[in-house]
Amino acid sequence: MLNRIYDWIDDRIDITPIWRDVADHEVPEHVNPAYHFSAFVYCFGGLTFFITVIQILSGMFLTMYYVPDIINAWNSVYFLQQDVAAGVIVRGMHHWGASLVVVMMFLHTLRVFFTGAYKSPRELNWVVGVLLFAVMLGLAFTGYLLPWDMKALFATKVGLDIAESVPFIGEWIKTLLAGDATIIGAQTLTRFFAIHVFFLPAALFVLMAIHFILIRRQGIAGPL
Amino acid sequence: MSQKVTRRQFLNYSLMGVGSFMAAGMILPMGRFALDPLFKESSASDMIATSVKVADITEEPVSVDFTFEQTDGWYVSEVTDFAWVYKEGDEIIALSPVCKHLGCTVSWASDASNPERFFCPCHNGLYEKNGENVPGTPPRGPLDMYEVGESDGFLTIGAIKENELV
Amino acid sequence: MKHGKGLTFVGDSRVQKYDKPKLNRDYSEFPGRTEEFYPDFLLKEWMAGAVFLIGFLCLTVAHPAPLERMADPTDTGYIPLPDWYFLFLYQILKYTYASGPFNVVGAIIIPGIAFGALLLAPWLDGKKERHWKKRPVATGMMLIAVGIIFYTTWESVAYHDWEQQNQQGQIVFSNLDAEDPVFNDLIRTNCTSCHGGELAGGSGPNLIEPDLQPEMVEAFVRSGSGEMPAFEGQLTDEEITAISEYVAGLELTSKDEASNVEESAE
Repeated sequence: MLNRIYDWIDDRIDITPIWRDVADHEVPEHVNPAYHFSAFVYCFGGLTFFITVIQILSGMFLTMYYVPDIINAWNSVYFLQQDVAAGVIVRGMHHWGASLVVVMMFLHTLRVFFTGAYKSPRELNWVVGVLLFAVMLGLAFTGYLLPWDMKALFATKVGLDIAESVPFIGEWIKTLLAGDATIIGAQTLTRFFAIHVFFLPAALFVLMAIHFILIRRQGIAGPL
Repeated sequence: MSQKVTRRQFLNYSLMGVGSFMAAGMILPMGRFALDPLFKESSASDMIATSVKVADITEEPVSVDFTFEQTDGWYVSEVTDFAWVYKEGDEIIALSPVCKHLGCTVSWASDASNPERFFCPCHNGLYEKNGENVPGTPPRGPLDMYEVGESDGFLTIGAIKENELV
Repeated sequence: MKHGKGLTFVGDSRVQKYDKPKLNRDYSEFPGRTEEFYPDFLLKEWMAGAVFLIGFLCLTVAHPAPLERMADPTDTGYIPLPDWYFLFLYQILKYTYASGPFNVVGAIIIPGIAFGALLLAPWLDGKKERHWKKRPVATGMMLIAVGIIFYTTWESVAYHDWEQQNQQGQIVFSNLDAEDPVFNDLIRTNCTSCHGGELAGGSGPNLIEPDLQPEMVEAFVRSGSGEMPAFEGQLTDEEITAISEYVAGLELTSKDEASNVEESAE
């Protein structure tokens, strides 16, 4: 039955070549930990992706309770962590995942660097990867403020002070991020929420799509 | 030599024109919306009255509270701040208590070995009485100061500004 | 339906109708022991993912995500700390030649150069050679950068007072009433910079938990103790008495009875 549905769809839109390209591509021996245990270093990229999926899912679910407002933000986080079943786990996944994704991305970057995989013809994919790293750090920075606890507020103050020390345009950057020239408050929280939940994830999806399409087009770098 | 514009070129230019219009039509309102904080005039802060009589101020710095209404977008709140106020000759000086290292609160003469200085308990930052940071301690600059005024004999405190005594 | 040179399409669409070729390739053309991504290799990746997920879920259950007390911008005694992956940058800003008048060096120039070099690595290190041992400059630079990141992070962690960090941020429910004039006029300016914005401890001790008597508090406020300055002379006798009674009356409460937490509108 399922086969007949698949054939019916495939007959009309010819989807087989699309997934066959992914499913049937050859994975060479030098990246396969079953043959060389040291090849586990090639897992870091995949794990980064896995944690990113966890981040996206847990983040989507967190917004079912979270409110980006200075009166209610902390109360909503406290509620979802203390009073909602599995709230500890869902917020824990998002919190610890943020740390782990940075660790995994760091290790993945080092692996690519030390195996020289960023060299011709894969320069563009390296650049996309470094941009992904920057977007991820931006997500980490903006997400840190959202629980609106003491640590969040004061760490953001320090971060915005650093942004302010950019020559010439520093004050503009700070005002644009904070939503106000002097106050870090209600408008900062909504801005950081918008950046964290809409703007940066949009950039993340585009860059990840390019990253993966380029890997499929170019294949994985050969053995050293 | 007059160059002929082909049909294809003409259509390409038209596409670019219409495309730019559509992009600008969408982006301009949104961009202005997002950039609004840059164009907001910071409201000229009024002089805030305190409960301290100008005549009572001495050369010894004391902390003077002042409460003002802070408008953060749609969120209006009462904020209480304080300043270190003393008299230098005839002039009244009001220094901000916010340390220029990491924003802790400094206090006057609270360190026994520095009786004539402002002291920050967080990382042992020191300031002279005029707010100048003591070299070799963590702060990055002198303490800010407030504009001061007088109304019916009471001290009023205005906008914060950079230290002008140093 | 037929168009052009014998091509057949599905209905009137542009999707070609053809005999599906066998897409499974013959692997003999590849050197070494290659294997197909699906299902062989994907299963290995998923096993690695499953092992990771077990550890990850254990972590989330064993260590709930930390949440400090609600942000209070007026609490000037709080010593800030960024999340751990920005600690190295925070630490660099403390060095003499990356802070004070040189702040722009530490905050912008050093991170800017590091990020720019990382972004442009394929062109800075443009030779064909890929093995890390055969390109000592690139490898050396990266190792130095990683070393600096590790060292400064460690230095920052070692320098920080974690006991105070935990105390200054902890969620405490108490009967502290921030609207009380004693708190607003006296305690906020004299006490909170050391004892924390909600008097639950900072560089000075927690004033809520211990069962303090007014006379005891008064003695401390008058004559000081250890690092605590004496307030006799700075404050009037009535003020000291008011502070002492206020502080002695503080105690822990449950969340529902707490008056120190801004309740959301009901």
